[in-house]
Parts: sequence; C-alpha cells; structure tokens
Amino acid sequence: MIQTFRQYYQQYNTRRRTYIVPSRFGFVYVGFLLLMLLGAINYSNSMGHLLVFLLASLGIVSMNHTNRNLAKLNIKHIHAKPVFCEQSAKFNVIFDNPSRYSCYQFSIANKQKQARSWNPFKRLSGYHHRQILPQIAARQNSSSVIALITKNRGKLALGSLQLSSTFPLGLFYCWSYFHTDYEVLVYPKPEGLIPLPKTTGISHKQAQQHQKGLDDFAGFNSYRHGDPIHTIAWKALARDDVMRTKQFSSPQDGRLVLTWQQTHELKVIEKRLSQLCLWILQAEAAGTSYSLIMPTKTINYGHGDSHRRQCLTLLALYQHE
Amino acid sequence: MNKTSPSPTAILWLMLGLTLGTAPHFLHQPIWVSLVFLIALAWRCMNIYYGWPLPGKKHLLLRFVQLGIAGIAILALMFSYGTTIGRDAGVAMLTMMLGLKVVEIQSQRDFYVATFLGYFVVITNFFFSQSIPIVLLMFVVVTIMTACLISLNDPKHQLNERSVLKLSSQMLMQAIPVMLLLFVLFPRIAGPLWGLPQDAHTGTTGMDDTMTLGKISNLIQSDEIAFRVKFDGDLPPPSQRYWRGPVLWQTDGTTWKELDRNSQSPITPDIDFSGGEYSYEVTIEPHNDHWLFALDFPNRLPTNVNAHFTSDGQLRSNDAIKQRQQYQLSSQTNFQFNAPNEPLIKEALALPKDKHPQTIQLAQEWFLQDPNPQRYIQRVLQHFNQKSYYYSLTPPLLIGDSIDAFLFETRRGFCEHYAASFTVLMRAAGIPARVVTGYQGGEINPVNDFLVVRQRDAHAWTEVWLEDEGWLRVDPTAAVSSDRIELGIGDIMPAGMRSPFFITNSRQLISLWQNINNNWDAVNNAWNLWVLAYGPELQKNFLSSLGMKNPDWQKMAIWLAISISTVLLILSFTLLYQRKHPDPVVQLYRTFCLKLARFDLQPNTGEGPKDFAHRATSTLPHHKNDINTITQLYIDLHYGKQSAALTDLQTAIKLFQPQKAI
Repeated sequence: MIQTFRQYYQQYNTRRRTYIVPSRFGFVYVGFLLLMLLGAINYSNSMGHLLVFLLASLGIVSMNHTNRNLAKLNIKHIHAKPVFCEQSAKFNVIFDNPSRYSCYQFSIANKQKQARSWNPFKRLSGYHHRQILPQIAARQNSSSVIALITKNRGKLALGSLQLSSTFPLGLFYCWSYFHTDYEVLVYPKPEGLIPLPKTTGISHKQAQQHQKGLDDFAGFNSYRHGDPIHTIAWKALARDDVMRTKQFSSPQDGRLVLTWQQTHELKVIEKRLSQLCLWILQAEAAGTSYSLIMPTKTINYGHGDSHRRQCLTLLALYQHE
Repeated sequence: MNKTSPSPTAILWLMLGLTLGTAPHFLHQPIWVSLVFLIALAWRCMNIYYGWPLPGKKHLLLRFVQLGIAGIAILALMFSYGTTIGRDAGVAMLTMMLGLKVVEIQSQRDFYVATFLGYFVVITNFFFSQSIPIVLLMFVVVTIMTACLISLNDPKHQLNERSVLKLSSQMLMQAIPVMLLLFVLFPRIAGPLWGLPQDAHTGTTGMDDTMTLGKISNLIQSDEIAFRVKFDGDLPPPSQRYWRGPVLWQTDGTTWKELDRNSQSPITPDIDFSGGEYSYEVTIEPHNDHWLFALDFPNRLPTNVNAHFTSDGQLRSNDAIKQRQQYQLSSQTNFQFNAPNEPLIKEALALPKDKHPQTIQLAQEWFLQDPNPQRYIQRVLQHFNQKSYYYSLTPPLLIGDSIDAFLFETRRGFCEHYAASFTVLMRAAGIPARVVTGYQGGEINPVNDFLVVRQRDAHAWTEVWLEDEGWLRVDPTAAVSSDRIELGIGDIMPAGMRSPFFITNSRQLISLWQNINNNWDAVNNAWNLWVLAYGPELQKNFLSSLGMKNPDWQKMAIWLAISISTVLLILSFTLLYQRKHPDPVVQLYRTFCLKLARFDLQPNTGEGPKDFAHRATSTLPHHKNDINTITQLYIDLHYGKQSAALTDLQTAIKLFQPQKAI
C-alpha cells in the first residue's frame, strides 16, 4: 500500500509541470459574467442566475480541458544534422501524445538568449514563438522542425522549449517547459582564399588498388569530339536527345596533407579553421585522400563521408591553447 | 497569441448561435429590428460565400453605409421607444448592434466580444420569459456559442463540425454539476439592487380596473394562467368559486370604474362569517397591478404579502405584483358584508344623467308593480332567464345606448353585459348595486390537484345591498347560462376555442390533448414553485431542510467550496486519468525507471533507453549488469525481436532492487 503511494508520489513528483493562467479574453469573460450576475440579481431572475452559473462552470471546465491538452505531451525524439556555421540548424522534434485524446493547437517556442532586464517578467517572455502545431492525434507522434540560425562553430544546444496552448476556448493560457539537452554540431563556415595545397605522390601499388573499383561518378560533361565512346551517357541521350559524357573521378591523384601550419598566414583562428574546412570539402569533392594534422590531434589519411565528418568535427570542436 | 482573423466556419457558427439566441425576440420586437439584424447577417453570409466586400479600411464607403444603418436604427429606436432606454429598447438595440458587429468582425478580439454578447443575448430572453422551452434554448445557444470559441481556436480546421459540436456539448455536460451546485448553494441576494426600468415587467395580461362592454371577452381568448390554488382540504363547490377582483361603482353609461381611492378614507368592511373554512395557497402570476385574488370572502389577511382590504372588499397588495408570488389565505363562503350599514350607499345608486331611458322606464314600471326588492330581483332574473336572452362569447356590436341596445335589441351578451345591465336595472329601482369583476371557476389539474384559474375564467357579477342582509352576490349570468357557473367556462366554450383545430373531430384526441395539457401544466407549476422561485427565502428553507442549521452566506460559501472542489477533482481526474499503457513491456520499463528515480535518475526528454542505461550505470556502477540486462531485454522486446521472453523482463525488474554504493 505504502509502496503504491510512494510510487504515485514519485510519478507525480517527477512529472513535467504545466502552468495555467486566464488569458486576457478570460478576464473579459469574467467581467461579462459579473455584469450578467448583477443583472440577474437586480431582476431577481432565477434563470439568469442559472445561465451565469452555467457559464462560470463552463469556464472552469475549459480550464481543465486546456490543461489536459498539454499535460500528457512528451518529446519522444530530437534529431538534427550537423550544419556549417551561418546555415540554419534544423532540429526535428518529435512530440509524442500517449493519451487517448487528441491534442490541438500548440504554439512552440524556444528559449532565446537571456537579455538582462530589470523586469522579472521578461524571464517569461524570453521565449520566441517558432511555429504552431495544429494537431497531435491520440497515441500518435507529430514532428516539428525548429530552425535556429547558427552564429558560432561548436555545439549548439536546442535549449528549453516552451509549449503553450489556449485550446479549446481561448479563456486560459497554458504552458509547459521541456528542458532538452540535445546539441547539434556546427562546423566552421567553409571559406578562404588560399588554394588547396599540392598533393604528394603515391605509391604505384596504392594507385592500382584505387583504379580497380573505386572510380566515383562525378557528373556529366557535354560531348566533345574525340571523347571515348564508352563514356557517352546513352540513357541520358535517349531521354532528352543531348549527347553527354559521364565523368569519373578516382582518388588516383595522390595524397593530401592538410595541416594547421598551412593556414599560418591567416592568423585569426576562426579564419584558419574556415580555410581548413573549405579545403576538406574541396579535397572530398576532388576525391583526394587526405589527412588532417591539428596541434591537438592528427587524423590519418582517408576519404569518404565518415572521414570527412571526423575531420569536420575536429575542426568544429577545436580549442586553441 | 497569434493574430489570425477568425475562419469562416467560426463566423458561421457565431451567426447560427446569435440567430437562435435572438429568435424569441423576433416575436415581440418591431419587425424592422429583426430585419436589420437578419440583413446584416445575410451581408456577412454573402461575403463568405460570394466574396462580397465588407466595411473596413479597404471599403470606406461601406463603412459609412454600416454606420449610417446604425445611426438610422438608433433614431428609429428613439422614435418608437422614446429617449429612455428601458428593457425593450435595450434588447432591440442589442439585437441590431450585434448584427452590425457581425458584419465587421475582422480580428479575434471582435470575435470574442461578439461571442460574449451572444451569451448576453440569452439572458435578455429571461427578462421576458423563464419558461422551460426558453431554458432548453439557452442550453442549445450556449453549446453553439462554445462551438464558436472552439472553432476560433482551431484555425487550421483540424476538427470537423461534428467533433466541434461533440466537444462543446461534452464540456457543457461536464459543466452541469458545478452549475447545479452554484444554483443551490450560491448565496442569493434579494433584488433589486437599483431601480428597474419602467417596462421591466410589462407584457402581462390580466384584469383591467375598468370595464367596457365587450372587454372581458378579449380575455376569454387567453389561455394564460392567472393564478393557481392549492387547497389544504376540500375544494369549494364550483358555484362558490368566485375570486374577487376590482369592484366597479361608477359609470358614464358605457364604462365602469372603481371608486376613486384617493378621495376616501379607507374603511375596513364589516363582515360576519359563518360556516366552514377553506384554507389554501395562491400562486399568482404577475399582472403589474395590486389585486390579490381571494375566494369570497377571506377571513384574514394573507401571509407573505403586505396587503389590506379596501372598503368594498378588494384584497390589495401594497406593492404591484411584478413577479410570481405566493400567499396563504383562508376563506369562508358564508358571510354577511356590511349588513347593518353601508357608508358608500350613495355611490351604489348613482346613474349617469339622461342615459338608458328605456331601461330606467322598464325598471320603474316593474318596481311600481311590486316594490319588494327581493321579488324585484327575482323578476329581473326571471326576465333574463325566460325571455330569449343568450349567453354568447361573440356578442354583436352594440349601437347607440349600450344598455338599452343590449336589453331590448341584441339580447346576446357576455357576463359583463348582464352584470352591467342588471346593475343599471337595480339602481334605477333604487336598490344599491355594484359590479364585481374577478374570476369564476377554474379547472382542477388531476396531476397535482392544483386549481388552475386562467384568464379565460375572467368574470363579472353584481352585488346588491339589502338592509339587514348586506351585500348579496347576484350573478345574472347564472340566470341565463347556469352552465357557465356550474361547469366553468371551459366546458361551454366551443371545442375550437379549447384545443387546436386539427384535433377537434375526435373526442379521444381532445381528452388526450387535455391530459397532455394537465401534465405540462403540472410540470410548469413545479418549475415555477421550485426552480424559478428559488431565491433567498426558498434557499434558506431548502438548505435547512437538508440539515444545514441557520444557513447564512458563510456556511453556504464553505459548502460551495467543498462541493465544487470535490466535483472538480473528480472531473480533472477523469480527464487526466491514463489507463495503463496497453503495451505491458512499456509498463514494465516504467516500473524500472521508477525504481531508478529514487537516485535522481530518469530518462531525459529525447534520451533513448541505451543512453539512459549508460548514465544509470555511471551513477550505480555496482548494478551495471542488472541495468544492462534489463535494458537489453526491453530493447529486444520493444523493438520487435521475439527472442526475448516477457517473463524474463518481468522477473529481472522484480528482482532489481537498486541500493546506494557503499
């Protein structure tokens, strides 16, 4: 028995809180009701009393409904792909409604950087409205994308989310906070003017290995007289009657070493990181195998998505001593 | 809050609600008021369906048209109601302004104001009628208005019309318990708090304090209830059911009036009672005048009402009867009224000069032949009975001297014709006489044993004063049509006047109709007595009968708080109650999480079970194996691997008793 109660208490205690206050229309509603009550008393009108009581009761019931609309919601999953700085990070938040009722009309807001203010109520308004989620059906999920502009490389936290709703009658304003600890990785912005460093030669053995099967399709070129016949894109020709040749790149051009020192002339750390970032993208596009040597860590030669991610992550989280 | 403009669906809901809410007013307010309202709504409809322009910043001309209509409407109101805003003018104004408001709704704020005014329209209906149908209409209108608000808060139209209506009626149902508690327990204050408008209670039908030939027969068309009587014991026989109203003395030949009360000091009548007593309770409908109707003749003043007797035996309330009221009385039907002496005897002999020459001639002729007053009265009554006089609900129009024309030409009349001409015949012979108006008869409703007296039971009879006997009631109508007195007016009325025309052919249908009527009236009576009359007095009595000692507002407030919180607790529990998750695996995992919650470990939002397990093991490293096994079992079961068995997870979680590391 006591065990059950303790469980209930813990369940209650660990639950997310919802807050509710009358909206401004709620206050107007109360004003109307008071006026009507005065009228009913003045005319000794019994049914007038009944109507006022019905509406008052309806208001209280609507408070319960507004609360219910929000109380059971959870965030099931958050996901965002890493982005480059100054791109917007798109957080895909999946809301889960485990209750047997559908929930409607949520305004989703996220916490903005706290501006210092003498007004304590500013703390409440520190949330910035993002979007409205019209419905989450009973026992269903619904996803919402929150895009944040990135200004710095590193990790960007989604921070607290505020869900609010005035459904169904708009007389009460109910809200709740979801403290997420999800972070997205922001790579440095790829930019810089220094050309890609020259590749170093590679051994014959390695080159042969690559030539066997790792040729990557790189795109189309318009056909020029003398192009080998096996490179013509026949399928594309059949589609739109334009002669093209398929271009392949293969990591046969050698190996590339990208080092922190190579960007020495840029001096500013962020610019150096940006330059390295751009090089990585260029090297990846060219299909060159490359390694990254930073003062803190060295990443060996490699090529491909996961290698690229590894290098970019190193840049994103780089802390200069 | 977002500032979207209300959707067309929401506005259509609003228009439906407002139309239903104002519909009862269409019946009594000037037709042009209803027209302005309906045209305004039609304008908005045309906007929704055909894109007609609305007044606003884009269409300034239309804004002027709208304001012009509003201005003309106000002028017309002042023209027809005068400059003071009373109840009727106020309602007419509200109706038109609501219509014009609907035309210009652009923002959410406009919409909310219109909706709240829509709720307010419902209460204006109650100033005219608080009958059961209007209350049912109230519930319908409130449901629709609530649907309006739901629809407004659902701009993306996620809910179709049916679900909106379902949700709003569901909310209304949930609101009813608290409404009832408030109705019973909310401390009632006796109104009025300030002056009521002049026309607050008009629109009631009833007796008049003057009688012009042909006037009472207007009341006969009215089925409305004048009052209801509950007798404690036996009922008086039908021939004794005379309910005294205004007594008329003065006449100018066509119209009869009461004595001028201001010119005379009130003299309490001298009445000798004998015989059995009837005690009863009267529930009188408001008639906006001072009369209280009593069975002739009450032997005491009524309780509950401040009243007095006038010198001619009228029971008058000190305040006009503007609301339904109840009073207890007892009466004895055997009495002598001012037997030794009648101070106003001169008034009872006055006749207008140079009127009714034929009648006066006849009276003097007869009285000369036999000067005994009693025999003279008998002769007149016999004349009515034996010469071809008829009791008629639709008497022919009287031309010239009305009494002469009736007695010598048309000979068809209603009670007032007989009472007036009989009085003239008496006075012409020198016998003091006066006309008494009031009600005679009434029907017993077998459902609740109330005697129901309706407007159509209105009657006029005469009283003559004889020495040593005082005022004697003589009902000349009884001489013409004894059925009127014995059976009551209902039975002598043609069937067409008693029931709707389409069922007049069948006797069974008529009796069924009466049966339904009786039941409906009993329901209405109970409604009046228990629900509509529920005010400070009844509240006190009712709460005392429930066992609350000396109910005052503090006690009521305490009980109100207790009972409402109980109801709301139940409501929020039923709303928030979550049946256990249908998936037993998830349920088991929750118990596991609860066990860890004691160590401040709970899955974060967006955190998967593996990450959570990782975090848990770092806090409770000595439980690493258990946590990992359970997590793995959960993942296997939850994400569809059939290899694991539910019982394994069950036992694993049961045995899992996390302890703090030593």
